[in-house]
Amino acid sequence: MIEFDHITKTFKENSRSLTALSDISLSIHEGEAFGIIGESGAGKSTLLRLINALEKPTNGLVTVDGVAVSDLSKTDLRKMQKRIGMIFQQFNLLNNKTVEENVRLPLELHDFAASLTTEEVLRFVGLEDKKDSYPSQLSGGQKQRVGIARALITRPDILLCDEPTSALDQNTTEEIVEVLKKAHKEFQMTIVVVTHELPVIKELCQRAAIMELGEVRDVIDVKQSDERGNIKPYHERAIEVLSHE
Amino acid sequence: MSEEIGLYIERVIEYLPRMMESLGETGIMLFFAMLAAILMGIPVGTLLYLTSSGQPTEHRLLNRIINALVNIIRSFPFLLLVVAMQPFIRQVYGRATGDPIAASFPMIVIAIALYARFVEQSLNEIPKGIIETAQSMGATTWQLVWKFLYVEARSSLVIGFTTAVISFVSYSTIMGVVGGGGIGDFAIRYGYQRYETDIMYTAIVLIIILVEIFQWLGLKLAKRLDKR
Repeated sequence: MIEFDHITKTFKENSRSLTALSDISLSIHEGEAFGIIGESGAGKSTLLRLINALEKPTNGLVTVDGVAVSDLSKTDLRKMQKRIGMIFQQFNLLNNKTVEENVRLPLELHDFAASLTTEEVLRFVGLEDKKDSYPSQLSGGQKQRVGIARALITRPDILLCDEPTSALDQNTTEEIVEVLKKAHKEFQMTIVVVTHELPVIKELCQRAAIMELGEVRDVIDVKQSDERGNIKPYHERAIEVLSHE
Repeated sequence: MSEEIGLYIERVIEYLPRMMESLGETGIMLFFAMLAAILMGIPVGTLLYLTSSGQPTEHRLLNRIINALVNIIRSFPFLLLVVAMQPFIRQVYGRATGDPIAASFPMIVIAIALYARFVEQSLNEIPKGIIETAQSMGATTWQLVWKFLYVEARSSLVIGFTTAVISFVSYSTIMGVVGGGGIGDFAIRYGYQRYETDIMYTAIVLIIILVEIFQWLGLKLAKRLDKR
């Protein structure tokens, strides 16, 4: 359970102060896939990054499983971050490390009792043959799979996704969404996805918060579409979109 | 013509032992400078980076102090630094002139300051996302530095080191003024003071070859380390 209790966040820049989040209260239940959607500048990434303390609230309290994140000592904060996986829009892989070394990186930082093996996690994301490749040899979609594998190898309780598909084309986006869906089903962690792409939320999440100008406008239940596995090749989709009125 | 060449070769052979001795002195000074750059320049540069504003480990005061120190050392005309350090060297080492180890002290100081800047610049090139990723994984500062920053910056660190070492070669040629010797001093003594121009050019060519070797080795290593 992740709870935001009257969160305000302001950034100070050269004596000007900018309100990124104003008075947000929200709870995300354990084991659900929760979407945060909004236009750029709505504050959704900031909200996400409060969960693992990449940002600190100006006012208010963020609690994860009843523990206030901002009250934790450095050591305890690290213990909490250890349980939270994160994937990024720009993938953030180490370019000088192989796929395997990237995926194993979290295991080098902490001891994990129940981590997956490299083979298991690479098979899960469909990259078992890319173990010794370097990120520069991979496509965008493959890089994000490595990012997901790196997050999953620790068996996290919470998976944070910051615009996970925004650097990818539409078909790759659907592939990544499928991988995330599969991960949610298999490992049943809480997933929080920030994105401006509605179909990603529609496909992946049970509930979603709609943000606008630093405020949560609505929290809604997402109706899953029946239309599934409908991945069309790029050229077909291009014709469909461009030649119809 | 062939007679002149023969004469030149004879002279080079005559001066060869002294030239080799000078190269050895240059080697000593470069060795201490390189050692200092690695052992001290890297940590100081890393500290400059970590304490700069916007970092999770930001520390204004410490950053300002190190910054000022590095700037002061680097803006010193090197010859004045050498002279200014004389009393200090005499205190710690016993003598300040007439030996390449005494001459290494100013080399060490400039090496740390110079390479620290290069290290800071290399680390600045790392995308912010990498630092954020380390943070999100709950990495300690130590882990951030060793498992993320140095991994991503390694080829740039090597290129910076190569450039720094080539500057060290240049700095070392000044050390003749305090009797530090070295190949640069050799060139000045024979070319400028004794008008033995051919020997001076030979020494200069040796210095150029030395620089070329460092550059070649540095680029080769950097390329091998770079998987980006």
